[in-house]
Amino acid sequence: MIYLNQAATSYPKPPGVLEAVQACLKEPPAAQFRGGISAGKRDGTGICREKLGELLGMADTERIIFTSGATEALNQLIGGLDYQGGRILTTQTEHNSVLRPLKNLEKTRNLPQEIIPCTADGTILPETVREYAADGAKVLFINHCSNVTGRVQDLKTIVQICHERGILVIADLSQSAGCVPVHVDEWELDGVVFTGHKSLFGMRGTGGYYLRKGIPLMPLKFGGTGRNSSQIEYADDFEYEVGTQNQPGIESLRAGVEFILEQGIGNVVKKEQRLIRKLFLGLKEIPGVRVYGGVPDEDFGEQASACVQGPALSFRINGLTPSDTAYILQNSYGILVRTGLHCAPLIHRAMGTEKYGTVRISVSYLNEEAEIELLLDAVREIAGAVNR
Amino acid sequence: MKITGYEESRERCAESGWFAYDILLEEPLTREDIVLFRPLGGFLFLSMLKQPFFKVEQDSFVIKGVQGNAHFRLAMHQDECEKIEEWIERFRCLGE
Repeated sequence: MIYLNQAATSYPKPPGVLEAVQACLKEPPAAQFRGGISAGKRDGTGICREKLGELLGMADTERIIFTSGATEALNQLIGGLDYQGGRILTTQTEHNSVLRPLKNLEKTRNLPQEIIPCTADGTILPETVREYAADGAKVLFINHCSNVTGRVQDLKTIVQICHERGILVIADLSQSAGCVPVHVDEWELDGVVFTGHKSLFGMRGTGGYYLRKGIPLMPLKFGGTGRNSSQIEYADDFEYEVGTQNQPGIESLRAGVEFILEQGIGNVVKKEQRLIRKLFLGLKEIPGVRVYGGVPDEDFGEQASACVQGPALSFRINGLTPSDTAYILQNSYGILVRTGLHCAPLIHRAMGTEKYGTVRISVSYLNEEAEIELLLDAVREIAGAVNR
Repeated sequence: MKITGYEESRERCAESGWFAYDILLEEPLTREDIVLFRPLGGFLFLSMLKQPFFKVEQDSFVIKGVQGNAHFRLAMHQDECEKIEEWIERFRCLGE
């Protein structure tokens, strides 16, 4: 079986991730603030925050809050920020984990919203952001890397445009954390959301967010934390990690992030870009195949400004629905890919693929060139059979 | 073609807007089995693939499968799902 659906959930995981989960489950649980057995033990949660800060360029790692994934993190931020009656901006490339909470907010709190359009390959042009970032807008929620075309947005420039107009920028790093260089502090992002189970190599059910100090946030959830248990009402000293935390998940995320740091994000990026480049150029050569996404530079380095393509792209074969293509790939060739709208319906209007969606290929650092070659052989054979 | 059962497809996103079932067979699909589907609707057969693929399509359903696999897929609109047992019976009678 060849697994090329890494943008959904990465597989396989580095061995250290499995070992970390097993070690966590073998040990007596050291509950946060709640017992005496944690004395002298290493703080896996704290280490995970530090490693995430190192990878994503965030110094204030105490402000990283763990959640069950990007969806919960986005619900927390979208539902908990104070918009002061202003407009909310988002983009045409967003996942439903952004679009649906925003739509709910529009209905329940009557907050005006605008969607910034993208190009046909999923790029949000800074000049388009400038047009929409007019007076009255308060927050922009923007996807860093499209889960459909793999296009990476120029966050540094977009943040500058928004900050000149007093607009906060919250970036969804679900498809970029761990596979595209990210510099949260340098880019002056106000908040970011990440998920653990994709390029960060953690378990499903992990993720979190970061929100810069000084930005008010109402909690989505309330409950026990083990701290100040006699206090049942908060003044403004809210706590955001409530209830028993997913310690095995956080340990898996720590091990996944440590793996990336050990390999070096530059090496991870280079390998994935090489695979995507091979894939893009190979698909482009096949008659009857249309590719949606871009091609990375051959000599791509670690420079964030040069990274315009993440480790995913989409394609279609003329004469077959994407669903049929994926079915054949899976059932005839043992190649697992993703098909449909990929939970990002609006970008397909820009791409002209809103009826059937696309076939998406996504790679990880642990995929090999030989797997891409086998996929290209299979697509060549299928396209040849349909379009002969 | 002997049907042993069916199950809802776990790939919920794969048939966007459709509800899919995987129909389970006792034996792998043969080319002769596939030909039996032809009268049900618009028929596509990619016979030159390593494992040939077929699809039968009408407005309200899609049937697709691969020669050599012991299952095929039936996708329907949501309001047609109550007819799954009728479909299973129809498949059982194919070729009789």
